[in-house]
Amino acid sequence: MTCIAAPMSYKGSNTTMVDISQEYSKIDTSYAITAKDSLGIRLYQAKGEGYKLNGDEFYYLRRLHRINAIESQANLWLFTSAGIVNVKKNNRNNNQAYVSPTVQADYETRRIYMMGSYQLFRVANDNFDTSKFKAGFSFYKTSYEETQPWFILELSHFNTINKKIEVIPTLRLINKALYFEAGVSTEGDPKLHLMYTF
Amino acid sequence: MKKILYFLLLFLSFTSYSATQRIELMGMVCAFCAQGIEKNLQDIEGVSNVYINLDNYFVVIESKNTAGISNEKIRNIIIDAGYDVNKIEIISESVEDIRKKYEKK
Repeated sequence: MTCIAAPMSYKGSNTTMVDISQEYSKIDTSYAITAKDSLGIRLYQAKGEGYKLNGDEFYYLRRLHRINAIESQANLWLFTSAGIVNVKKNNRNNNQAYVSPTVQADYETRRIYMMGSYQLFRVANDNFDTSKFKAGFSFYKTSYEETQPWFILELSHFNTINKKIEVIPTLRLINKALYFEAGVSTEGDPKLHLMYTF
Repeated sequence: MKKILYFLLLFLSFTSYSATQRIELMGMVCAFCAQGIEKNLQDIEGVSNVYINLDNYFVVIESKNTAGISNEKIRNIIIDAGYDVNKIEIISESVEDIRKKYEKK
């Protein structure tokens, strides 16, 4: 549930993110204490297959490795989340504490983007592991002052909440500190993602 | 002679000096990355203008100090933004000259 495109910005920056969809919504804010580490808080809810999750968590994000080349950037990230989630299913309604790690790898050039992530998210006897893969291209190069449009194809699987792999064609727009994605899954679920750094 | 010196000092006091530095970067592949670099460079005392060129992977800064900003300081700021420096050089053109040159294309 935590995987995103560029999970943190520069040292001393705040990053705020909002995700909205029928299946999963969240609001998240984090502070980059160094160029490699950030601390954040997140509120989220997810529903599907008779389950309803409501969670609050703290997370620590560590950029494990970055390869900066002249025309590209590659990263390996580790999120460690800890929180409490309320799980509702039929007559069951209970709060569970959890710790959940996510590994994310991404690669980006001025025209190409790829990202894969896996979140291990186990609560009591339930397995809510999430995996995502995103790949896409920019329609054209833009200058720093212009908005750059991208086409991204996302494949997403949220274990237990959704039996199928979701396929989500997405339009991404980047303008300096503002990062916006809008897509509709092939099942007709609209999804919005907004990120702002300040 | 004294008058000439006074005039010379007066002239020098009204003349503004600046230095322009061109920084080649590694990993600056999108505007979202570059805005952190721009903000941190703008925050350096004495820096008056910053120009980002994504297509050619460089940044140009203009500072009121004739010697420019120290290479070490620039490197540290770029690394704190999450990127690497390939090369730093002092150039004779101003930031506005560079901006006009590349924005025309």
